[in-house]
Amino acid sequence: MIPMLKNQKVRNTVQQVLFVGGLAGLVLCGILIARKNLAAQGMTAGFDFLWKSTGWDVNFSLLPASANDPYWWFFLIGILNTLFLGTTGLVLATVFGTIVGLARTSKNELANLLGRTYVDIFRNIPIILQLFFWFAIITHLPAPRAARGVAGFVLSSRGFYLPIPNVAAPAFVAAAFALIAAIALPIWLGRTSQLQRPFGERGTIQLAATAVALALAVVILLVGHASGTPFLDIPALQGLNLRGGLRVSPEFTALSIAMAIYGGSYIGEIVRGGFLSVGKGQVEAANALGLSGWQIFSLIRLPLAMRAMLPILTNQYVWLIKATTLGIAVGFTDFFMIVALAINHAGQTIESIGILMGGFLAINLSLAAIFNRINKAIALKGNQLRGQE
Amino acid sequence: MTVPGPAAPALQIVGLNKYYGPLHVLRDVNLTVRRGEKIVVCGPSGSGKSTMIRCINRLEEHSSGTIIVLGTELNDDVGNIDEIRREVGMVFQHFNLFPHMTVLENCALAPMLVRKVPQAEAEAAARRYLEKVRIPEQAMKYPGQLSGGQQQRVAIARALCMRPEIMLFDEPTSALDPEMISEVLDVMVTLASEGMTMICVTHEMNFARRVADRILFMDRGEIVEEAVPDTFFTAAKNERTRQFLSQILKH
Repeated sequence: MIPMLKNQKVRNTVQQVLFVGGLAGLVLCGILIARKNLAAQGMTAGFDFLWKSTGWDVNFSLLPASANDPYWWFFLIGILNTLFLGTTGLVLATVFGTIVGLARTSKNELANLLGRTYVDIFRNIPIILQLFFWFAIITHLPAPRAARGVAGFVLSSRGFYLPIPNVAAPAFVAAAFALIAAIALPIWLGRTSQLQRPFGERGTIQLAATAVALALAVVILLVGHASGTPFLDIPALQGLNLRGGLRVSPEFTALSIAMAIYGGSYIGEIVRGGFLSVGKGQVEAANALGLSGWQIFSLIRLPLAMRAMLPILTNQYVWLIKATTLGIAVGFTDFFMIVALAINHAGQTIESIGILMGGFLAINLSLAAIFNRINKAIALKGNQLRGQE
Repeated sequence: MTVPGPAAPALQIVGLNKYYGPLHVLRDVNLTVRRGEKIVVCGPSGSGKSTMIRCINRLEEHSSGTIIVLGTELNDDVGNIDEIRREVGMVFQHFNLFPHMTVLENCALAPMLVRKVPQAEAEAAARRYLEKVRIPEQAMKYPGQLSGGQQQRVAIARALCMRPEIMLFDEPTSALDPEMISEVLDVMVTLASEGMTMICVTHEMNFARRVADRILFMDRGEIVEEAVPDTFFTAAKNERTRQFLSQILKH
């Protein structure tokens, strides 16, 4: 026995078995103690509460919700709210970040200065402070009856109102899919090697695909439009409040702005770093071949910068998704706030927090998995060190 | 002074000066290159030889003087710059291939985008040039999967695909392992024998002896010696040239 322990493999196995066994024992002890203490206080552990109706309501939901709905339905609403806010925040932050990053790498001194100032200010103030700032600004806007709108878009203390087509929900979803296709089709067409066409013609085909998808979206909206009503439902003052249109609550607006601007300052730096990492040599070679500025940007600099950005961008996106939990600070019913309310009302703290953590793990691991796959798919082949300065 | 059309010399440089801030890197350079002529430029590092050939296709902007390429003056006119870049191919020390594109895409890209050649035609031409540089079998690989010598030959094929009138070589073998130098030089010798106008910055003196019509020696931003190979190696007039030659031919 003793001489066997001198064998490296045996030793490694024994160590691992001892470690895993110890850890399992610790967790088991914890669970047993918790159960004993909960039982002593007359509380029952378990997930039965998920099927009880909540008795309280949420202020924002993409699905129908009422106080009679069970807890599991509210948790689902919370996850959807978090995903909705997260997606909005990520998309806006990416748009802001791209603009700022490009401004910072441009040769234009003014754009450079503006970009740098933006990053310096918004990266160095805690996001929760920024959130309160934007929330305060929105809630101090003029009341609906005093607010002035532009083309049906109204910013007031009750939130952000925008015109919305008078369209049935299924048609709306279909149109959304057509819009996604309008973005995804040209990307897919660009990647497929079946398209034996010069780059110029390929661009035309991509544009045509986008145009067709957009036209389809418009047609779907026109067909799905409820007859007898105006096509656009424009917010208008009725009494003391605005009626009609889509109302984006002050909470959601403030959270989106805060995530977009704070996230944009980080993503801007990532974009800048990505473009700086593109070798000068490749750009010189493209110039020497006579490629135009736009061709060099879209075919050489951007694809190479993307490859440098993506791994760091994944980190930033995961971080921003977690920032949606700030919803509780301004009263937006994101996943975290709904779980907090559930704990207050139903008292199943450990189970609820378990569900919350599981939910965030599932969201962020899926996000990371998707980005890692893209990253792998576009990774440069072979050894990149050779011939680099 | 400008002779238009096909009668114009390949390259005329008159009174070229270039400054980097206070640094005067090219001093009153004059050079005329006939069509089909092969020029080798050598000199110690920092002597301005790379800067000079990078001025010819506007990778560097010259401060004063005139550069006329194939009868077109190189100035701030974007149309002129584009026209000259279409006709002047360049091979770099560090290859500078596009790492996210296959060898074939690297070669076919510019003809398709700049010369508007249909894809099938551009790819067929690319395969012909890859055959010429003796790596047709690597067409579908990515640059990172090739050796340095192979990458440099792809870079030469990429430049040739634009069917340039003039080829510029900026130390094409300096970044290569010794055993790969000759495979690149062989391609360049073939190219020279076919009548391409070539301006090569290189320290490969055997190549210079074999191929060059004229050898230029540059030092501190000036062309201090200009001679046919025989004279250059045996009877250089300038003291600095003789010193440089004795240093690089010592071994």
